[in-house]
Amino acid sequence: MRKMRRSRWAVASIVAVVALVACGNNPTTTSPTALNGPLTFGSDSSFTGPNASFGLEQVAGCYTAVSLINQSGGLFGQQAQCQIIDNRNDPADGVAAATKAVATIQNFGGTLGPGGVATATEPVYESANITMMADTGDSAFNRTTDKYFWRVTPPDSAGGYAMAVWALKQKFMSAAAVFSNDTTAQTSVPTLVSGYKKGGGNMVINLQVVPDQSSYQVEAARVLAAHPQVIFTEADPQTDATFFKALKQLNNGQMIPIIGTAPTITADWAKAVGDAVSVGDLDKYYVGLQPYVTASGKAWQVFNTALLADSTQIPNPSQWSSDAYSMTDYDGINIMALAMLDAHSWKPTDYNSHVINVTAPGSGKTDVFSFAEGKTALAAGKTIRYNGAGGAVNFDQWHNYGGDFSANGYDAAGNQTTAGVVTAADVKKLST
Amino acid sequence: MSLLALFIGFGLVTSAVLAIASVGFTLQYAVTNVLNLAYGEVMTVGALTAYVINKRGGSIWIGLVAGALSAAIVSLLLNRFIFGPFARRGLKLFGMVIVTIAVSLIMSNGLLIIAGASTFSYNFDAGPTFTGLGMILTTEQVVVIVIAIVAMIAVRLLLTRTKLGRAMRATSTDESLARACGIPIRRVTDAAWLISGALCGIAGVVLGMSVTGWGVFTGQGLLITIVAAAVVGGIGQPYGAMLGALLLGIVTSLVAGYFDPAYRDISAFVILVLFLLFRPKGILADVVAQREVVA
Repeated sequence: MRKMRRSRWAVASIVAVVALVACGNNPTTTSPTALNGPLTFGSDSSFTGPNASFGLEQVAGCYTAVSLINQSGGLFGQQAQCQIIDNRNDPADGVAAATKAVATIQNFGGTLGPGGVATATEPVYESANITMMADTGDSAFNRTTDKYFWRVTPPDSAGGYAMAVWALKQKFMSAAAVFSNDTTAQTSVPTLVSGYKKGGGNMVINLQVVPDQSSYQVEAARVLAAHPQVIFTEADPQTDATFFKALKQLNNGQMIPIIGTAPTITADWAKAVGDAVSVGDLDKYYVGLQPYVTASGKAWQVFNTALLADSTQIPNPSQWSSDAYSMTDYDGINIMALAMLDAHSWKPTDYNSHVINVTAPGSGKTDVFSFAEGKTALAAGKTIRYNGAGGAVNFDQWHNYGGDFSANGYDAAGNQTTAGVVTAADVKKLST
Repeated sequence: MSLLALFIGFGLVTSAVLAIASVGFTLQYAVTNVLNLAYGEVMTVGALTAYVINKRGGSIWIGLVAGALSAAIVSLLLNRFIFGPFARRGLKLFGMVIVTIAVSLIMSNGLLIIAGASTFSYNFDAGPTFTGLGMILTTEQVVVIVIAIVAMIAVRLLLTRTKLGRAMRATSTDESLARACGIPIRRVTDAAWLISGALCGIAGVVLGMSVTGWGVFTGQGLLITIVAAAVVGGIGQPYGAMLGALLLGIVTSLVAGYFDPAYRDISAFVILVLFLLFRPKGILADVVAQREVVA
C-alpha cells in the first residue's frame, strides 16, 4: 500500500515535471502577445575555433538589428536581445547548444542560423517550432520542406556555380579545387565541379586538404604538377595561408589566381594569406564570391549607422560594414520582428507563416527599409515588403533565396573591392 | 618537375625533424624506462621559448639554443618532481604511461592558457630556394636537415666516445649491474632527461622553422609519428630511431603525394602496427641481437 502511494507520488511528480518542462519549452502555452521579459533572438553559429569569425559576423547583425528595434520601442512592450548559441563548428556540440537553448531561453522568438553544422542542429529548432533565419550554405536544405527554416543567403551550391561562372568569364579554362575536407567546405564542390565542366572548363585536380597541418608542400606540388590556371579554394585561414605559401615557394615565387568561396572573405583569412604570400599578391590574384550586397542605399545607411554606434557589443564594428553575412543576418532579425508585428504575436507558431507577408513582392505593398519604417506602416494597416541592408529577399517554395553574387577582392589599403557581379541568371544557366 | 623527387625531398625534411625528436625520445626511454607521452608538449615549450626570443628581436639561432635549454630544464623537472617520485613508488610501465598522459593534458592546456590558440611563426630570412636532384628546398629546410645531421653525429659521439655515453648505455642495458659497477645512476638519469629534453626542444624549434605556422598543439600532433619512428627503429635504440625517422618521413610524404594527404598520419599508424606485429624489436633487431651475442 505504502509502495503504491509512493508510486502515485512518483507518477504525479513526473507529470508535474514534464508539464513544467513543456511549459518552459513551448511558447504557445501563454497568451499570444504576452511577454514576461525581454524577447530573445538566438545567434547560432561558431564562436570558437578556427571559424570563430562566422559567429562574430552573425551576431554583429543581430546586435545591430536589436538595438534599432529597441530604439523603436521594442516588441510587444518588451526589449529585444541577442543570445549567442555557440555550435563550436562541431555537430555534437551544436546539437547540445541548440537543445540547451530551446530548453532554457525564455521568450525565444527565433534564431539566426544555424550556420555550418545545420544538418545536425536544424532538426532541433524545427521540432521545437523555432523560426530560423539560416545562413548555412548546406545543399541539404536546397529543397527543404521544413516549415521553420528560412535561408536568407544563397546556398553554397549556388556559390559553387558562381565561382565556376566567374572563372569562365575570366577565361580560366583549367582549374584546381583545393578545399578542406570538412563538410562545410565540401558543400560547394559538387556544383563547382559540375558547373565548371558544363561551362567548358577542365578541373585538373580536385584536392581535399586536411586542415591545420604544419606543411602542405606535397599538396602544393600536386597542384602545380597539374598546371591549373586558377585555384578554387575554401579552407580556414591558417590552412590556406600554409598551402599558398608552399605553392608560391615551389612555383618560383609566382602566384596563381585564386577564387575563394564566401567564407574566405574575412579579415582573418585575408591577413593570414596576405602575410603568407604578400599583401600585393593577395590584392592581385585573389577574389572571393559572396552573395551580392551593396554597401550603399537607404537600408544599408540605417544598418551601418547603428552598427558603427555599437562598439561596446561589437568590437571593431566597421569590419562588418560591408560584410554580406552581417547584413543579411541583420535583415533576418528584422524580417522576424516585422512578421511578429504582422501576426500580432511573437510566437514562431503564429508569426512564421507571416514571413512571406513581409518579404514577398506584391502590388500595393509599401516598401520599407528599416524595422522602424515597417512598424509604422504595419501600424497604419498597410501591407509591406521589407528591403534590407543586403537587398530585398524573395523566398521560394522551399524557403530558399537565390540572389546575385559579387566577386570581391582587396585594394592596396586592404579595403574590399568589387571586381564584378555574377547574376542569379548566370548561375541558373549553369545549374539547369 | 619530378613529383617523386619532390616528395622525397619533402620527406627528408620531415625525417630530419622526426629524427631529432625520436632519437631524444628513445634515448630517454632506454635509460629511464619511462615512455614519456608528454614529449610533444616539451617540444612546444622549446618552440615557444624560441618564439619569445625571436619576437623580441633575438636571432632564431639564439632562440634555438634557448629552446633546447628550456626544454631540457622542463624535462629534468618533470622527472625530478613527477615521474621520478612515481617510479620510486614502484609504478610500472603502464601506470607511468597514464601519468605521462595526464602530464601531457595538463601541459597542453596550460600552454593554451599561457600562449593562446594563436598561430605562431618565426621571423628569419627565408633565403633562396635550392633546386637539385629534382628536389626544391628552401634555405630553412636545408638548415633543418643540416641541424638534424649535426645532432645525430653529436648523439653518436656522445654514446660512443664519452664516459657519460658509456654510462648511459650501461644503465640502459642493466641498471642493477651498472649501479654495482659504481655508475652514479641518478646523475646518468638526470643527464638522459636533460639530453633528451634538449633534443626535444631543438626538434620543436626546427619544426617551427620548417613550417609556415604552428600552435601549442603542433608538437602533440607529431607525437604519434615520433613514437612510430622510435618503435620502427626499435624502442630504446637511438640509431634505429634515426632509420625509423627516415623511413617514416619519406613513406608518409609519398603516401600523401601519390594517394591522399588524409592518409599521411594513417600511413604512420599502419607502419607502426605492422612493425609491432612482425618486427616488434624494430628495424635493427638483428644487428642488436648479433652484438649481444658477440658481447
